[in-house]
Amino acid sequence: MNEALRAALTRWQKIALVAGLIGLAFCVLGAVVRTPQFFVSYLFGYLFWLGLALGCFGVAMIHHLTGGRWGNVTRRFLEAGFMTLPVMAVLFVPVFFGLRFLYPWAKPALVAEDEVLRHRRVYENPGMFIGRSVLFFAIWIIMAWLLRKWSVQQDGTTDPAPTRRLRKLSGPGIVIYPVTATFAYVDWIMSLEPDWYSTMFPVIIFIGQFLSAFAFAIILLAWFRREPPFVGVVSTTHFHHLGNLLLTFVMFWTYVSFGQLLIIWSGNLPQEITWYLHRIAGGWKWIVVLLALFHFFLPFFLLLFRANKQRVVILMSIAMVVFLVHIVNVFWMVVPSFYPQGIRIHWLDIAAPIGVGGIWIAVFLANLKSRRLMPQNDPRMQPVILHAK
Amino acid sequence: MKEKNTLYGLVAEFADSSAVLKATQRAYANGYRNMDAYSPFPIHGLAEALGRRRTAVPLIVLLSGMTGGLGGYFMEWYSMRVDFPFNIGGRPLHSWPAFIPITFELTVLCAALSAIIGMLALNRLPEPYHPIFNAPGFERASVDRFFLCIESADPKFTLTDTRNFLQDLNPIQVTEVRA
Repeated sequence: MNEALRAALTRWQKIALVAGLIGLAFCVLGAVVRTPQFFVSYLFGYLFWLGLALGCFGVAMIHHLTGGRWGNVTRRFLEAGFMTLPVMAVLFVPVFFGLRFLYPWAKPALVAEDEVLRHRRVYENPGMFIGRSVLFFAIWIIMAWLLRKWSVQQDGTTDPAPTRRLRKLSGPGIVIYPVTATFAYVDWIMSLEPDWYSTMFPVIIFIGQFLSAFAFAIILLAWFRREPPFVGVVSTTHFHHLGNLLLTFVMFWTYVSFGQLLIIWSGNLPQEITWYLHRIAGGWKWIVVLLALFHFFLPFFLLLFRANKQRVVILMSIAMVVFLVHIVNVFWMVVPSFYPQGIRIHWLDIAAPIGVGGIWIAVFLANLKSRRLMPQNDPRMQPVILHAK
Repeated sequence: MKEKNTLYGLVAEFADSSAVLKATQRAYANGYRNMDAYSPFPIHGLAEALGRRRTAVPLIVLLSGMTGGLGGYFMEWYSMRVDFPFNIGGRPLHSWPAFIPITFELTVLCAALSAIIGMLALNRLPEPYHPIFNAPGFERASVDRFFLCIESADPKFTLTDTRNFLQDLNPIQVTEVRA
């Protein structure tokens, strides 16, 4: 990494850190004056950025298993992304203090009069919630740390052993991550509505995480494409492949999102359909329209055309739209549980994502600066890079 | 039926993939257009070197996909709304969410079939006879040899000039191929 680039990254890191601290300062203010609203906004803002870290984690493991030149040039972005997990684990702690503001099962008065919640108390109680969260973060952080360690090890040796270890971990890892995250997201989002169940819901969450990670990687690769070591290596082919993957996950997200809607709409059972009724009530239905247009139709139709995937600026703009609208998607999944009558946007809904996001980006840039920007000695990549146009 | 001794083209044989890629790029730079390269595996950049043209396949796929999707939706709407209205759980007769799976499946089915059939038709396949198989040793094109054939149909093609041009590319051999 040359000095000019390092200086630029340091400057961005400072900007992100300051923005994050200002956002968090507003969050602290909000926690004092609008305590219930603070926890709602913080949960939403936090879960978006945690989703990005976990998306990077999943996509990196997919790449270790499948290979492909798209992942070689983006791997350090993904690694820097999932290495934010230790900080994200710390940032999750405030949620533990807000359980009784967020989750019906943590409100003794509600539990007392609801038979279902009473029966679920064995599993869903503050102690179990915190215990499970700590366990899952521990598993993810250990796996993330190993993925990073071996990847960096490969930089220093031509012996393919570290890459082989990365593959050996990624195989089980790509199963462990969705299984643990299913339990986590049942706790963190699904249990916001006490009587609602959907087996498809965690899948929608993961696919959205992968999608935001791909969009993030495309944006960064586009920004870095003229910097060494990317200049001369990154070609339209890389962007074409990443664009295809973005299209795949846009369609996958739509497929699973619509699948859940279709099943619940067909069943039309009171405890299931209310989840959607809360999410189309009042102004919420305009959020649905926004998601349909910008989370599906626009990226889908633009990404069908090869030329749009090969023109870097266009692809980056599409990725930017997907990334931003995915924030709205997370908002729409979390917040209507608290405002089932209609949309309400509080100033804390802006402050929380900026606060968590600023810290996230500062940590991300610190991770990015600490290692080479391009993985070295990947045994599968040598001839491909040599022959790349 | 063409006469047995008409010239189809001149074919140059190469031992490795980068040689045939360079040869193709030079042939294109020299103005040859009616040519084709043959290789046991896909060579990155070869299609571009041959001057890949835009084909009608994407348009065919788009139109058939839309036909399949609209046709599927119409079929459901017509049977449910016009031909045989049937009350299912009190839902409206025109319940679009329930129609989406069939619409989606028929879009994919028609698009995929038309992609394969359109590709075959535009390539004029299946083609039981092709002159290139008269080239000596051409069976190695599916093993370890790489061929570049400049066809006599090319406006720039003359037997001597084209032969000299191909010889300059250091091939293993240059041979005439009869149609």
